[in-house]
Amino acid sequence: MLQVQNLTKRFGDLVAVDDLSFEVEPGEVFGLLGPNGAGKTTTIRMILDILPPDSGHITVLGGPPAAAQPRIGYLPEERGLYRNARVLDMLVYLAELKGAHRARARERAMEWLERMGLEDRANSRVKDLSRGMQQRLQVIASIVHDPDLIFLDEPFQGLDPVNVERVKGVIADLRREGKTIVLSSHQMNLVEALCDRILLVNRGRSVLYGSLAEIKRQFAPHTIRVRVSELPPDLPGVVAVEPRDGAYDLSLAEGTGPRDVLRALLDRGVDLQAFEIAPVPLEEIFIRVVTAAQDSSGATGGTL
Amino acid sequence: MNWRKVWTIARHEYLTNVRRTGFIVMTALIPALGLIALLLIALLMPRGEEVADWLERQFDVGRKPIGVVDRSGYFTSILPEYRETFVLYESQETAEAALRAEELQAVLVIGEDYLNSGEVVALTRESFGEAAIADSARVRRFLIAHLLADKVDPALAHRAADPLENLQSRVLSGTGQARSGGMVFTFLIPYFLALFLIMTIFASSGYLLQSVAEEKENRIVEIILSSVRPTELLAGKVLGLGALGLTQVLIWLGSAWGFTGGAAALLALVGSVGIPAQVFVLGVVYYLLGYLLYAVLMAGVGALGTTMRESQQLAGIFSFIAVIPYMLASFVMINPNVPVARVFSFFPLTAPTMMMLRIPLGEVPWVDVAGSIGVLLLSIPAALWFGAKLFRVGLLIYGKRPTMREIWHILRG
Repeated sequence: MLQVQNLTKRFGDLVAVDDLSFEVEPGEVFGLLGPNGAGKTTTIRMILDILPPDSGHITVLGGPPAAAQPRIGYLPEERGLYRNARVLDMLVYLAELKGAHRARARERAMEWLERMGLEDRANSRVKDLSRGMQQRLQVIASIVHDPDLIFLDEPFQGLDPVNVERVKGVIADLRREGKTIVLSSHQMNLVEALCDRILLVNRGRSVLYGSLAEIKRQFAPHTIRVRVSELPPDLPGVVAVEPRDGAYDLSLAEGTGPRDVLRALLDRGVDLQAFEIAPVPLEEIFIRVVTAAQDSSGATGGTL
Repeated sequence: MNWRKVWTIARHEYLTNVRRTGFIVMTALIPALGLIALLLIALLMPRGEEVADWLERQFDVGRKPIGVVDRSGYFTSILPEYRETFVLYESQETAEAALRAEELQAVLVIGEDYLNSGEVVALTRESFGEAAIADSARVRRFLIAHLLADKVDPALAHRAADPLENLQSRVLSGTGQARSGGMVFTFLIPYFLALFLIMTIFASSGYLLQSVAEEKENRIVEIILSSVRPTELLAGKVLGLGALGLTQVLIWLGSAWGFTGGAAALLALVGSVGIPAQVFVLGVVYYLLGYLLYAVLMAGVGALGTTMRESQQLAGIFSFIAVIPYMLASFVMINPNVPVARVFSFFPLTAPTMMMLRIPLGEVPWVDVAGSIGVLLLSIPAALWFGAKLFRVGLLIYGKRPTMREIWHILRG
């Protein structure tokens, strides 16, 4: 679906994207994560053929970026619509620019307006819509031409919980239809709920890449969560105990496995209600990885 | 270049802008002014003579007589045909008093030894009046007629005083045909026609600037650029808004047509103006080339600003350069081939306006025509390259205006 190899882009002295490689599989929801200024937008712009890369290679939908443009949808982080245009006219124009035929574009635009609860606004001017409506319209603008690969840069920004659910529903629907989605967001709970695999970029470099489940396992080998009526004080190999939501998070010493702790608990006849490898929130992984990288060198660049 | 996308963009730009209030007002303004002028003429026609008198008074620079103090004796007893316009005074004091009382336009004091010395003192109320006297055909006629009176044949005296009394001017055009025309028609009408065309060039490239700056300001350009190439966007805008400018010119011409009572009248107007066909053809060529050059540059510069205001300020420099020929218009009017005019005809940014100004005024060397068209044909691709490059990068830089150094990097990189 998308292969990026050794991609590099410089702006003057700033290396915005530094030897980045990753792949997006067909039909998956792929999370492109990173702090502000990490080079996500620049990467997306190169894949969309808005910016030329300095070096590296991009294959998207089986060809070079220029050829793939009509089959890609893009919701940019910097939102923009024609404020004075009418809703339907604008959607049709944007779809036409992607090579869609006018009549077909009109049909699809109406379908999506209905799905997003905006059908009675088809002939309103864009500037007369509320903020939330404009956000939803922006999402429609990125998918109205029926693309196969869709880049959603911060799609939940500025949405209320009802509309967050609505957009989540749209992403789920698109996925069911077999579309591939690249999602960039700072809302880690939503990324966790939606993404299969992620790439975490920091200062243009890949710092974490792979399946979300695998990454979470990688980051949580030494903590287990147990729910017991009473925790014995002297468990072997446990270096720290932290109560959390009526359960306990146990940090394990080097060389101690979860199996050892389970055996010890059972040996002592503890009333064990739950035992699991503690899930580390993605947010925590994000902060840990990014601050570790930040500590090893200076400050971050700006968004380019 | 995907021409279907270019066409989609051109169509969209045309349809969006043709509905703009600014465009409608500007387009309606010219016919409205024409209509008002026609109404005024219709209203004033029955009182034609009064109007004519009133108009004449507005242009009357001095119908008061000129006082003469004659110390030479050649002018004592003024010839009958000059008695209404020249009055003899015995002394300079009384003449000066009459001048102060605004009874006279000026006083001429003719020296005692006028025949040998030519001494004449001119007294006027304002300083600039002196030059007017020295240049005045009326005063020359008066002096010559009196010097020759009774000494030669009256017809000869009369002819000597006014050798160009019955001047008819004919201009030999390139085809060898003589054409005649009044000052107003040969100079003013082509001048205003050219001015109108130049105005539409600026109106259309102004719309272009606005449309680029708007798309950048509201950020939709990011979505557009993920769908089309910058050159396609640029080409679509240039074509769509060029068609818009052309629409404006056609509406103006059409309304002139309507007001003057049809094609025959319009052609008669053109005929009386004495503009040969090649002037029209060249006018169209310079119009199109000028529009292309300015449109592409405006688009590139428009992309550099972060807001509409900023873009307009940046583009102001081009508008300034384009009107330089109009600042030189008074020289060009006297001689369309004055060296400074020829120099500016070979500079791409002033060539279209300068040539549009020169060509209706007279024969322009073919070297200048070929040279200026050549310069424009060469500079348009250069501007396209430059404009597209600025356009591409400028559009994606939000929040701050690029510095000259950054622009230099963009152009090199």
